[in-house]
Amino acid sequence: MTLTHEPSGSTAVTSPPVVRRRRALTPTRVLAGMVRVAVAVLIIGAALFPLAWMAIAGFKSKQEVVRTPFQFFPEVWRLENYRTILDDPAFVRTLAITGLGAVLFTLLSLTVNSFAAYAFARLDFHFKRALWVVVISTMFIPGMTILLTSFIVVTKLHMLDTLAVLILPGAAAAVHVFFIRQFYLNIPRSLEEAAMIDGCGKFEIFVKLFVPLSKPPFVVVGITSFLVFWNAYVWPVMTITSPDLYQVQQYLATFRSERSSELAMLMAGSTLAAAPVIVLFLIFQRQIIANIKMAGLK
Amino acid sequence: MSTTVTSPPRSADGTPLRAHPPRDDRIAFLMLAPVLILLSIFVIVPTIYAIYLSFFNWSFYQDSEFVGLRNFTNALTDPEFRAAIRRGVLFVLMTLPIQLLLSFLIASFVTGVGKRLGTALKISVYIPTIISAVITSITFALIYEYSGGLLNAVVGLVGIEDQAWIGDVRLALPAIAVPAIWMGLGLMTLIMIAAMLDVPESFYEAAELEGANWWQRTLYITIPQMKNVLLYLLITGFVAAIQQYELPLVMTGGGPLDSTTLPNLFIFNHFRGDTYQGYSIAAALLLFLVLGAISALIFRVLSSEKLVD
Repeated sequence: MTLTHEPSGSTAVTSPPVVRRRRALTPTRVLAGMVRVAVAVLIIGAALFPLAWMAIAGFKSKQEVVRTPFQFFPEVWRLENYRTILDDPAFVRTLAITGLGAVLFTLLSLTVNSFAAYAFARLDFHFKRALWVVVISTMFIPGMTILLTSFIVVTKLHMLDTLAVLILPGAAAAVHVFFIRQFYLNIPRSLEEAAMIDGCGKFEIFVKLFVPLSKPPFVVVGITSFLVFWNAYVWPVMTITSPDLYQVQQYLATFRSERSSELAMLMAGSTLAAAPVIVLFLIFQRQIIANIKMAGLK
Repeated sequence: MSTTVTSPPRSADGTPLRAHPPRDDRIAFLMLAPVLILLSIFVIVPTIYAIYLSFFNWSFYQDSEFVGLRNFTNALTDPEFRAAIRRGVLFVLMTLPIQLLLSFLIASFVTGVGKRLGTALKISVYIPTIISAVITSITFALIYEYSGGLLNAVVGLVGIEDQAWIGDVRLALPAIAVPAIWMGLGLMTLIMIAAMLDVPESFYEAAELEGANWWQRTLYITIPQMKNVLLYLLITGFVAAIQQYELPLVMTGGGPLDSTTLPNLFIFNHFRGDTYQGYSIAAALLLFLVLGAISALIFRVLSSEKLVD
């Protein structure tokens, strides 16, 4: 990913400069304003339409969803599909187990990556540069290159069909270490010096000083981790066969191939599976958008 | 870094040697241990193992046989693998230029509107980025549905007959390019917006005094000022697009007639289908050599000015 933190005044990055003088409303200005609104509606529409279409399809009946002649809206908006799939214990379980896994994965990712970030940003130890190079190098290894051998490794470790096989492999991520470290490098050293005089150890300084200041990078790393876990498809398909541990994307893809006549219900299920990440994003959108910048560049 | 007598002695990692050893070894290694252990088991070991296996004809069930470089020569001379690479490049050409152009236009538009509308636009264009490839595939497959699908209804309005969008050899790849563009646009747009807002306002004020129009300001100020960002987006966009495989995996499985078998999907299908691995690992490594080198290079070039302290 391409996120890096802007140390201060990051809100300034998001807000476009508002230097506009009031001018008289001439017909050209009114027209320009209307064009602007039209373009905005077009962009927002193009971005959100597929998702709206997915949700609408969920309200259609089994026949309506692919009826010829084509039908845009359902004749009757029925909740049936949403209700039926939410009554299916397998679907509810897949949402619950994926959610649980995502929360554990996020917490683990925040913990291990911020530990490493703090060590690289503030501690003084042997082989620091060499280890930094090793950690950063892992960022450039494409997932496909190690997909099969990772599978062999987790098979030999008897991790197949456990929650651990979903959580452990991706938890440590060089991008996150890098991102949090950039933030820590910008924290003024004077803050720690005061704490050091009070006799605080290095770990205490991390817990008492750095963690409370870490909200901006933790929000970004946390949300990214949650999304990565929630949206994962190929790895769960390879490592999970027990229906008890089915992940939500895996469930949807399996539903699609096994119950192809239930398209409307699949769309309802997809809508429900997309809802949590959309809500999560909307809650934290300000911090996330403010932090999207090119890695390492200003 | 010379080793003359005058320069202070340095340890192997290049930091000056101190009278005492670094003070934080214990706590540092304790805090680094989780990341180092996890990366070792799940990234470094699999990488070394992949390099090792690429020299073997390896199977889950039988003894492996050392074959030297044969897997690599097989991959490089395999017409199917070459076709997959060409298809990957074609796919990049279908997606990346459109993404760069659209995100540039949207970003220019967003930076010119008021704050509220700007926020609404930014949130909207970013939402597709957080939607999974599976859900995106399911949704676009519904739009592409042959009978009763939205797209056929729309093209029907202008008199074009129904098409099997993802079932037709000529149409399937472009049909997959559309959701790929849709998913990738948000991140690019937001990066461009951030970069545009970093261009000093005074440049534009001066241009305005000279009477430059939007096109001139874009051509002579915005684009040159954003050249690093554009280069970054071009390279990362290329690396991301050529590695796309989840969309075709779910939508078409690579068909019809391999027309959507992008390089990574080619490798993935070999992982699943072959008894003897080694070939697919070699193919994956070849891809890694090229793409890993490209991304590492761009990371180094662009970060040399600013990051690593």
